[in-house]
Amino acid sequence: MLPARVQHLLTGRRLDWTLLACALVVSVAPVRMLRPWTNDLARLVLVPFVPVTHLGTSLRDRIRPSIESFDPKSPETIALEAEVERMRTLYETSRLDALRLEEVIRGLQATSTRAGGGALLDVGATTGSVVAGDPNGPHGVVRINAGSRHGVAAGSAVFVGGDVFAGLVTDDVGAFISTVLPSTRLPSIGCRLFPVEGSDPARTVAIAPGAVLKPTGRGTWTAEVASAGEIAVGMIARVTDERLPRSALGARIGRIVAVEPIEQVPLARRIEVEPITEARDAISAVVVIERRSDGGEGGPR
Amino acid sequence: MRWSVHFLAVLLAAALDAGLGGLFEIGSIRASILPSVVVFVALAAPKRIVMRAAMAGGLACDLFAPTVLADGSALVVPGPHILAFALGASAVVPLRGLLYRQNPVSNAAAVVVFSAFASLGWISISIVRSAVLGSAVPWWPASGVGELLVQLMSALADGVLGLVVFWVLTRTKPIWGFESKTRLAPGVAREGL
Repeated sequence: MLPARVQHLLTGRRLDWTLLACALVVSVAPVRMLRPWTNDLARLVLVPFVPVTHLGTSLRDRIRPSIESFDPKSPETIALEAEVERMRTLYETSRLDALRLEEVIRGLQATSTRAGGGALLDVGATTGSVVAGDPNGPHGVVRINAGSRHGVAAGSAVFVGGDVFAGLVTDDVGAFISTVLPSTRLPSIGCRLFPVEGSDPARTVAIAPGAVLKPTGRGTWTAEVASAGEIAVGMIARVTDERLPRSALGARIGRIVAVEPIEQVPLARRIEVEPITEARDAISAVVVIERRSDGGEGGPR
Repeated sequence: MRWSVHFLAVLLAAALDAGLGGLFEIGSIRASILPSVVVFVALAAPKRIVMRAAMAGGLACDLFAPTVLADGSALVVPGPHILAFALGASAVVPLRGLLYRQNPVSNAAAVVVFSAFASLGWISISIVRSAVLGSAVPWWPASGVGELLVQLMSALADGVLGLVVFWVLTRTKPIWGFESKTRLAPGVAREGL
């Protein structure tokens, strides 16, 4: 039997006020109090409704497909173009890797200290369907139906549309479902800007203008680029941020949609970059799982 | 009112909102199904349970919409939308006597009022949470005024979508088990019935 005072609180109008008070307390509760149970509770509720959310995403894609799906070219041409883009990404990745290794060699020669761990031994990938987005706004997290049972680990890089870096897996990883933080919500991303047709193999990749993309909150990024090199609308931003997983390096992330001068700094320009494709618009996403020499998996370094 | 039907309806609406996502989206403005379901209940259910029903809707919304923390992790905070929906419902309840419920436009207007108040509540609670915990607000790096405008425009979009959702929900009314207190007085007009 409940004590009389508790019973008194759980009747009629008092129940409403009791529930509201509980909601207010939970609303302002610190993260460490909520993290152990709220994500698990949400997953328990969400999992039975995944077929419904999945039906929703499928319907949305049928009724309002992403703009890229309207491409009038044949599927074979699109596939070949995607292959070309992937090759370009691999090429830029290897060039960035070469640049990084040269820096490591220079550092080793200068300090003769040990390079340390971090080298990749094995890379795996798993594909998951995008089953839900944030119901409250277009720029929130998305959920994919791949989880720890498929090898997904927190911090793994997520790709859509072949080689477009779409975000990172958050620490909310369930057995069959995981949450992806879109790249437009990351605090900052280091990148280099390349022409649409790819970079000149005869020139070092280090001369490509670098930028640190900061989210605008409208689903795009902005950055100030201090470079005398040519910067034009349509140029492709590729990830070069060492804090992100190795698999994300060299991947496409966005294209420049606006360039404007900064009056106070004549040599610098402010650019706005929009994502090439977003996870929320995709049907499926690829999660790359990195297994390191120290036995750890994934995660930004 | 049958609570099982209500719980199922709000969870289905929240799931469809999460899945359909960009289908009802223009720029940053997005229409949702869930507010219409909550308003449907708020207009038809007995007043004493409206607040609880709205809070159940808010809980469903919170469970499907995790907050992104500054460290990039996602956290479900069951609370802000519960309070926001309660505020929205408390704004709609006084309208029950004023609205002609057979008119779809009046139902849509009620959805707009509900969503606008719920948005104000959610923004207020988010600001309080960020002030208490010293964390970033969910709409960072956009401004609060910008977010308010987006939410108010979304409230209008909710109203437009509400026209369709109410049409569907009205046809399911018998399974909700709403109590009817309408008294049928005998008279000349009913003699032919």
